Amino acid sequence: MPPTLVYTPEQLLSSRVLAEPLIANGVRCHGGFDADGHYRSPRTLCRAPAIEAWQAQLSEEGHGLLEVPSRAMPPQYPNAAQAKLLLRHGVREPLVRSLTIISIVEGFGAIIRDVQVPDLEELFVEPLSGTALTHLQSGLFEAHARDESGYRDEGGHKQMWEAARDSALENPHIPGDVLMRLMGRRSQGARPAPVFPEIGQPLERMLGFMANVLVVEVFAEETFRWGMDILSDPEVSAAPEIAGDMISYIQADEKPHVEYLRTALSEVSARTIKTVEGGTIPGKQVIDALMHRILEQATRTRPADQRDDLRENLAESIRTATHPSALQDDFDALETPWAPPTRTGFEAAEDAA
Amino acid sequence: MRVIRIIRSLQIGWTAARVWSMYKIPHWSKKLRGRELSASEWSVIHERAAQKTLDLALGLRGVMIKMCQAVATRADIFPPEIIDKLKQCHDAVPPKSFEIVRKIVESELGKSMDAVFSSFDPQPLASASLAQVHRARLVDGREVAVKVQYPDIETIIRTDLANMRRVCRVYEFFDPRPLPLLPLLSELTRHLGMELDFVREADCADRVRELFVDDPQVKIPAIHREWSTRRVLTMELVGGIKITEKKKIEAVGLVPAEVLQNLMYIYVRMILAAGFFQADPHPGNLFVSPTGQIVVLDFGLSKELPEGFGLGLFELMFSLMTFNESAMVRAFDELGFRSKTGDKTTFVAIARRMVNRSDTGAFEGELTEDMTDELFEAIREDPVAEVPSDFVLVARVFSLLSGIAHSLGSRANILQAMSGGGPAPSLES
Ligand SMILES: Nc1ncnc2c1ncn2[C@@H]1O[C@H](COP(=O)(O)OP(=O)(O)O)[C@@H](O)[C@H]1O
Ligand SMILES: [Fe+2]
Ligand SMILES: [Fe+2]
Repeated sequence: MPPTLVYTPEQLLSSRVLAEPLIANGVRCHGGFDADGHYRSPRTLCRAPAIEAWQAQLSEEGHGLLEVPSRAMPPQYPNAAQAKLLLRHGVREPLVRSLTIISIVEGFGAIIRDVQVPDLEELFVEPLSGTALTHLQSGLFEAHARDESGYRDEGGHKQMWEAARDSALENPHIPGDVLMRLMGRRSQGARPAPVFPEIGQPLERMLGFMANVLVVEVFAEETFRWGMDILSDPEVSAAPEIAGDMISYIQADEKPHVEYLRTALSEVSARTIKTVEGGTIPGKQVIDALMHRILEQATRTRPADQRDDLRENLAESIRTATHPSALQDDFDALETPWAPPTRTGFEAAEDAA
Repeated sequence: MRVIRIIRSLQIGWTAARVWSMYKIPHWSKKLRGRELSASEWSVIHERAAQKTLDLALGLRGVMIKMCQAVATRADIFPPEIIDKLKQCHDAVPPKSFEIVRKIVESELGKSMDAVFSSFDPQPLASASLAQVHRARLVDGREVAVKVQYPDIETIIRTDLANMRRVCRVYEFFDPRPLPLLPLLSELTRHLGMELDFVREADCADRVRELFVDDPQVKIPAIHREWSTRRVLTMELVGGIKITEKKKIEAVGLVPAEVLQNLMYIYVRMILAAGFFQADPHPGNLFVSPTGQIVVLDFGLSKELPEGFGLGLFELMFSLMTFNESAMVRAFDELGFRSKTGDKTTFVAIARRMVNRSDTGAFEGELTEDMTDELFEAIREDPVAEVPSDFVLVARVFSLLSGIAHSLGSRANILQAMSGGGPAPSLES
């Protein structure tokens, strides 16, 4: 029997029965443990096989899955060695701030449920039956949103990051400037002009949003590695096992996000989009251009900006240590230089030569 | 002055006694006949009592109006009939004559009017319950707005407050289950104390200006300290389109939805991020310049929030918008909401009710007046002992903002405002 390609929203949101729920630092969260004690992500009973089936169908039709190059992943700042150095010297604030911001940003992932999905069947030349694309608004976005910010009486990634922070650093005081940092400067000026006016604003906006989230989700791998490295180190963490495991659960839950997003975007790449003037444009051209632009932004200027933004704050925290200048020197010595890759891998054919 | 004081006291006392008897006489007579009052009977009584109070307030003005307005923000304590009636309580004060204004300005500044101003418009720009504002020009040619406190307003206010406190005490003494009017009155006394001190107002204006020093989209009028005292505030004259005038905003080529997001950004930055805010965003205090800059006036009621309160508020709103009941319960606790019994079930019920209300499938990030009303009503029905007073003030601010949003035909998305009007932080590009 061929695997099913069509699911109801209820199916995509359904979870398997578990032996034990996940309680994170006293807060009931999603997911839990099976009888063998393995962690199981929430809402994957049907979502996981569904994504596999859509991917299999794509490959049967002779199309590949798009890949976000992992070498494009910018490192966290301060890096794990630097963060540990600060913790060993009793300077906790920068890490608490970073972890809190990570938890909030994870929570904001829930706005994906508000993405406007146009009538896709109308916008493509080829049929869409049995694709991830037709399930975005009927289950996939909602499951993603619930995973990120929790739902009803269960916490999500936001609460799981908080739990990792609070158990490893023993319920630290949260610096008062967290929201100020998060808000940062106001985005000035008008929204960027559309890259593909011919496909219509709603479709471009949706695809741009999805591509953006995909990049964020893939780059989060680096955040997980960093977080686990620090919070599972018994020298600096009060709960190395609990905190490290917690991050690994979040990491496991993110897998379906990356997979459904790259599947849906690859399905667009494999198709032809109808333009508003009645012509057509290859989906690949649109997706590659969007991915290229987003990766460029995410790797070229943003990591450096974020680093600069934090420098002053870090220096201020370091000044509270016993030997601030020695600590600052040691801190700077641990810095690992990073340069973004020269190519995003999504360059248009003509300048790829 | 003395006579006026006595008359005011008598009027307040008399109305209070009438209102109280409106409640108690039917209640007792029914009780004598062995029956409780029905909901609709109560409703009629509430409405009549509110009308009486409103009439008195409009006659006496001053503190009575402020008290009515304060009551109207407390749907967590008072029944809806009273809230609806007292919401109509607005102040319209006839301006004081120019001679009176001149006297105050000269005695406050210690100089003759001509030594400071090359011109001074005898007609006020605006008059409110505590002060009136005149347009003028300094001798160096700069245009200014001069806010002048009414003579004796401080004494009148103190007398009214003392009277009302007395009436409230009597009421609490006689009523076996009194509404908590005294705490409300104390809060009002604190707020009026702030509003009457223009030096404090100037300090607050400076503090908020500092917060937006890098932001060309926000304007806070500069204060001329040398010509300001506790009772006279001389500031840069500013102007623009009133924030609720949608047609005029569109006429200069601005997009009302963007103006609103700009405004929301300013309040979210003040309240959630900085923990210090101008707490009175009514449309009279907000202008839009033709370039889209938002002008914020009137820092009389500005408030500093306790540490962590902004983050707690964010958590509350965020949990509401993401349908996360358990996070909402924790946020209530962090913000200092307390139930009478000390257990959490009350808040679980309230959270469930609020989440159900916002669960229309969309993540719209708005905290409307309806929503705060609903929250407060849920609290009034459940045995919640304490709503933190800072929360009441913040809720009022967001209600006022969503009122402005309504006039502009748009939605006041708090969470979107956190990212400066663009997409949310994680998705910024
Ligand atoms: N700097 C100013 N420039 C122009 N108009 C002003 C200025 N300050 C106040 N006003 C006008 O005076 C009105 C009342 O001033 P405000 O400070 O809000 O007093 P109140 O605290 O009594 O409400 C404002 O709504 C505005 O119309
Ligand atoms: Fe997540
Ligand atoms: Fe995710």
